[in-house]
This record gives sequence, structure tokens and C-alpha cells, in this order.
Amino acid sequence: MRFVDEFRDAELGRALAGEILGAVEPDRHYKLMEVCGGHTHSIYKYAIDDLLPDNVELVHGPGCPVCVIPMGRVDDGIALAREDGVILTCFGDMMRVPGSDGTFLDAKAAGADVRMVYSPLDALRIAKQNPDRTVVFFAIGFETTAPSTALTLRRAKAEGVRNFLCMCSHVTIVPPLRALLESPDLRLDGFIGPGHVSTIVGVRPFEFIPADYGRPLVTAGFEPLDILQSIRMILLQLRDGRCEVENQYKRVVPYEGNRAALAVMAEVFELRPHFEWRGLGFISQSALRLSEAYADFDAELRYDVPGVRVADPKACQCGEVLKGVIKPWECKVFGTACTPEHAIGTCMVSPEGACAAYYNYGRYASEREAVAG
Amino acid sequence: MSCAEDHCVTCGDVAESMRVLRIDTERDLALCEDETGAHRTVEIALVAPVAEGDELLVHAGTAISRAAAAVVVSP
Repeated sequence: MRFVDEFRDAELGRALAGEILGAVEPDRHYKLMEVCGGHTHSIYKYAIDDLLPDNVELVHGPGCPVCVIPMGRVDDGIALAREDGVILTCFGDMMRVPGSDGTFLDAKAAGADVRMVYSPLDALRIAKQNPDRTVVFFAIGFETTAPSTALTLRRAKAEGVRNFLCMCSHVTIVPPLRALLESPDLRLDGFIGPGHVSTIVGVRPFEFIPADYGRPLVTAGFEPLDILQSIRMILLQLRDGRCEVENQYKRVVPYEGNRAALAVMAEVFELRPHFEWRGLGFISQSALRLSEAYADFDAELRYDVPGVRVADPKACQCGEVLKGVIKPWECKVFGTACTPEHAIGTCMVSPEGACAAYYNYGRYASEREAVAG
Repeated sequence: MSCAEDHCVTCGDVAESMRVLRIDTERDLALCEDETGAHRTVEIALVAPVAEGDELLVHAGTAISRAAAAVVVSP
């Protein structure tokens, strides 16, 4: 595969694993958090933790945009989907996220017009094809995805498409990281930084992590060698007593990010004063809403959105998983009441979620160990 | 590309390499082809100017970066 095969080279992977082994102090336990759900998925898919020494532990962070959407927000989206004349559009994984009374797929089965789209541009196309209907795009995602929504809204405005609305649930990566770092029950030695978010925001926004919290961060690509090399870079910083932000994914991530993306986001969005994150609670200035200039496209202003708040199911420990306090398999309902087919928690819904990634790939390693042991 | 595969590339922080086939400069859109030969319309405003044959990293229908030339990681 173009630009990919080089980063899946098994021989180089083994060499990097050897370098990692040489970089750790045998008596020290290292706990590194991969922030991004894409990394979590790659780590389990390629069994990267099998290549690491026993004293290097990977903790899965809050960087799955589906996993952090609270149930009440799903309920609000479903309420919109049930409005007369509305076509609700959203990305694939979002369709299966449970609210308090089912998912978007359940709402579709019950008669609501809910359609999966690959991009916001697809949603806009549906709006143009259905001028007598109102198309709502349920927007989720971190800074990687937000520019796509912003560009589409700018396009809708320029083309005078009046039946296209956005229910904006875009979130930003820095505030939850800060919240995690403030959490008293968290002990981390370093961070594998989010690669594609950094393509947009650059590397600079993460400099507070070494500066204020004394933890190194290495922005990483998503292929196995990218992740292994990033882990090695973090471990070398720790060994050498350095603490800084480094960029392993230089082939894609510029230090300053993408100025055009940041400009269109600044035009279309503004920060919400606070936003509820699944398992993490309300975090100040951690999400985006449409700016005043785009108020006409704001579904939450056009419709009477209930603004439902729903407590997470008691059995669900997504919050602790998202904070890296427990491993997916340590959750009481993991793999029993909560599976990808019948998910209770959002971490099991999206394959980028730590629980689903572990369920789909990692548990086989555990089974092998159990058999071998 | 599709959500039917092992994970949804849009929901994850995933971008995939696509090659530019044709460009609509007026609308800042390009017709791009992925590894499987599938074609999609892609927003190119964030990486403009773009030429036919360029390789782009595409997320949620928007090119967020150029795909870098292959670089072998040296351990």
C-alpha cells in the first residue's frame, strides 16, 4: 500500500523493539498513554504491546470521538431525527452509539430518516437533492474532523443552501488532556500524541504538558513502526532526563499545523463554555458550537433540542477506561453484558474505543497466555 | 474507506492516502482515487494548490495534508 508498507516492516519493528528494551531501566515501571483512538486500534490490531517489555504499559486515552459523546447528546440527536421533514445524517460508528432509548439505527428502524455519510460534503449533497426536507448533520470528531464540517458549512453558506443544518458535537483535545493530568488517580510517564489532530493544530498546543506537568509527549503516526518509534522516543527522553514535545510524524505534521484549517474553524465555530464528556463529566471550553455568523445553520437554534442529561449506566466503567484507571477487561461488564454487538458503553461501540479494540484483537493474546500458562 | 471494514475511518482519527485524478478549481474540489480504485470527491481547500497526480491524506472527505514521500524509519 502506498506510503504504508514501509511502516509495517517486521524486521525494522523487531529492531525497534530491541532498541526499546535497551532504553528501559529494568526496575522502573513505565505507563504511557496513547491519546488517540486510532493509536489504540493500531496497538491492538498489530499486537504492539506484545513487542514491548513487561514494564512498559500502554494506557488508552480519551481520543475516540464516538466514545466521549454522552448519552443525552445521542438522545438529543434522535429527537431531531424524529422531527417532521428531517433527514439526520451522521458518520458510521455514531449510528450504533446507545442513548437512553436506543441508537440512531434503532430510530431509523422505527421510521426516522437517518442516513450514514462518509463526509459532511455527502450530507450537503443530500440537502441539495432534497430541497423540501431539512438535513441535519450530526457532527462529531476532534480537530481532525472539525475543519471538514467547517468547510462544508462555509460552502453551504456560499451556495445559499438553507435546508442544511449542523448539530455540532465537535470536541477539542487539549482540555480533556489537562483534565486528565489534573486527575489525582492518574499516574503517567508520557504521552503518545495524536497524529492527525496535530496535522491541524500543530505540535505547539501540547507544549503545556512537559512545561506544566513534567511529562514528555511524542506526536505519532499510526503505523506499527510509527508507534514503536514514538514509544522509543519517549523512553529515551525519560532515560536521558529530558522532557519535551517531539514530533515523530514529521512527514505529515507541521509544527504550526494547518493555517487554512485553523482559519476556517475560527470563522465557523466558537468554544462552548462547557461540554459534557462521557465518563469525564463537564469540561470547560472543550467543545465547539457554531459561531454567530453561522447561527442560521445551527440545528440547536432552529429546533427545540431537549438538552437531555442522562447518567451513564451504573455497570458501565467507560469513564475509568477513558482515564486509563482500569484496563478494558477489568470493567465488570466487559465481554459479558457489554460486547460490540450489544454495547452498554461507548468504548465498546467504536472500534477505536479501547474496549472494542481489545475485544476484537487483544483478548486473543490473553487467551494465548492463559493456554501457555 | 468504508465503515463496513474493521473500523470506521471517519470516526477514528484516520486519514488515508488518495491520488488526485481531476480538479475543479472553481469549487476547490478534486476527484480522488484510493488504493482500491474507488473514487470520491474531496475538499482540497486546506492543501491547495493541488495538481493532478498529487497524493493527499484524506479524512472525512477533506484533504488535511499531503501524503509524504515514503520514508523508511531507521531504528
